[in-house]
Amino acid sequence: MLPIDAAAHSSRWRRRHPVDKAVLGLGLTLLAISLPPWPGAALVLLSALVVLLGPAGVPRRRLWRAYRVPLGFCVTGALTLLVQVGGPGGFVSLADDGPVRAGELLLRTSAASLGVLLFAFTTPMSDLLPRLVRAGVPAPVVDVALVTYRMSFLLLDSMRRIREAQAARLGHTGRAAEWRSLAGLGATAFVRAFDRATRLQAGLAGRGYDGTLRVLVPEARVSVRFTAASCALLATLAALTFVLERPLT
Amino acid sequence: MHIAEGFLPPAHAVAWGVASAPFVVHGVRSLTREVREHPESTLLLGASGAFTFVLSALKLPSVTGSCSHPTGTGLGAILFRPPIMAVLGTITLLFQALLLAHGGLTTLGANVFSMAIVGPWAGYAVYKLLRRSNAPLMVAVFAGAFVADLSTYCVTSVQLALAFPDPGSGFLGALGKFGSIFAVTQIPLAVSEGLLTVLVMRLLVQSSKGELTRLGVLLAKKQSRTETEAVAR
Repeated sequence: MLPIDAAAHSSRWRRRHPVDKAVLGLGLTLLAISLPPWPGAALVLLSALVVLLGPAGVPRRRLWRAYRVPLGFCVTGALTLLVQVGGPGGFVSLADDGPVRAGELLLRTSAASLGVLLFAFTTPMSDLLPRLVRAGVPAPVVDVALVTYRMSFLLLDSMRRIREAQAARLGHTGRAAEWRSLAGLGATAFVRAFDRATRLQAGLAGRGYDGTLRVLVPEARVSVRFTAASCALLATLAALTFVLERPLT
Repeated sequence: MHIAEGFLPPAHAVAWGVASAPFVVHGVRSLTREVREHPESTLLLGASGAFTFVLSALKLPSVTGSCSHPTGTGLGAILFRPPIMAVLGTITLLFQALLLAHGGLTTLGANVFSMAIVGPWAGYAVYKLLRRSNAPLMVAVFAGAFVADLSTYCVTSVQLALAFPDPGSGFLGALGKFGSIFAVTQIPLAVSEGLLTVLVMRLLVQSSKGELTRLGVLLAKKQSRTETEAVAR
């Protein structure tokens, strides 16, 4: 299982309805991209961090490992805003408002990423996918997504084992060997995926498979108190941003 | 190359979502029709989705010495066709956003447009064109994967340049800026992905002829006259 999904399965908020967590996590993300970055995104960043490490109980190290991935892209992307092409300063020169734009972009992306991580770290995919049918996603698409999700772990596990076997047979010693091993890995993943699908199909056919995959979804109710508190937090953050915007700018 | 969460301004995020919607809806309709007619396809399509997801987890050695992962859009489009890839790509990008923190939900539309729509369609068009002009399978596969990879990054550069125009030279300057940064790593990576796709396809032709024929990548072998007569007898 992937680290974020594993953390979601053991999360304190595991039993909460996905709608509760979507209102809070995705609400924070929407606020982060729509409010002025200073002080709006900064406030969202702080609030998301407090909720993640406090009530949601996400372990710090796991959060950092997941967070550094989008952060790396944001920093690389923001660096390009520091320079400008053309203009009086020469072909390539430092942009006047570059540091401000780069800083605002960094604030916005890092706050928005934390909002999505709050949702991802507390909601296992197996709780979310079957409920998408009620949100209007066609059932066949949800079924395909469910099979994709469950089969991904098996394939990732198979690939890890194949990679170990290849390494044991000196498959990564030179550039040519590495390419050969990589191609073997990709082809074996394809063959295994189709082989598993065929075997799964045979097994399900023996159990009266009619084209729909029925799975048990843990029962949960949308909490009015939790959702109201989340909306109150989002409204407070928006109001605080507009109050503090002038004095802090 | 995924555009990270919150990187695009809200108007751009919505616009790219709207641009992607017709292609994804078309793909969803094709997929739904396929599943209704052949219920067993659910499992094969799920397996294809898992393969696409896992393919993006492969570490690809780059000529520049760095390491990256293949987009898998070229191979996916050749094997499963672009409409299906639009849906499988969307599912994969959603999983990557929520399970790996690659990409994002607000930038899903933009990422789907570059990686699940333009990449597969451009790669598939080149592949089909070369196959129709009787080019060898492996040449067509290499060109398809190369173009799919490169077009994905070109579209990502356009998306970023539109969102962050250069203060001195506007959109074109920003396009040059983002494009030249990507070109350093992405042209060698596109070559690497083309080569890897050829190697994977060569192995698949040897080991999975049945599946490739079922997917329409290889033509079904015509029964010889003697075989037909033997069956008739």
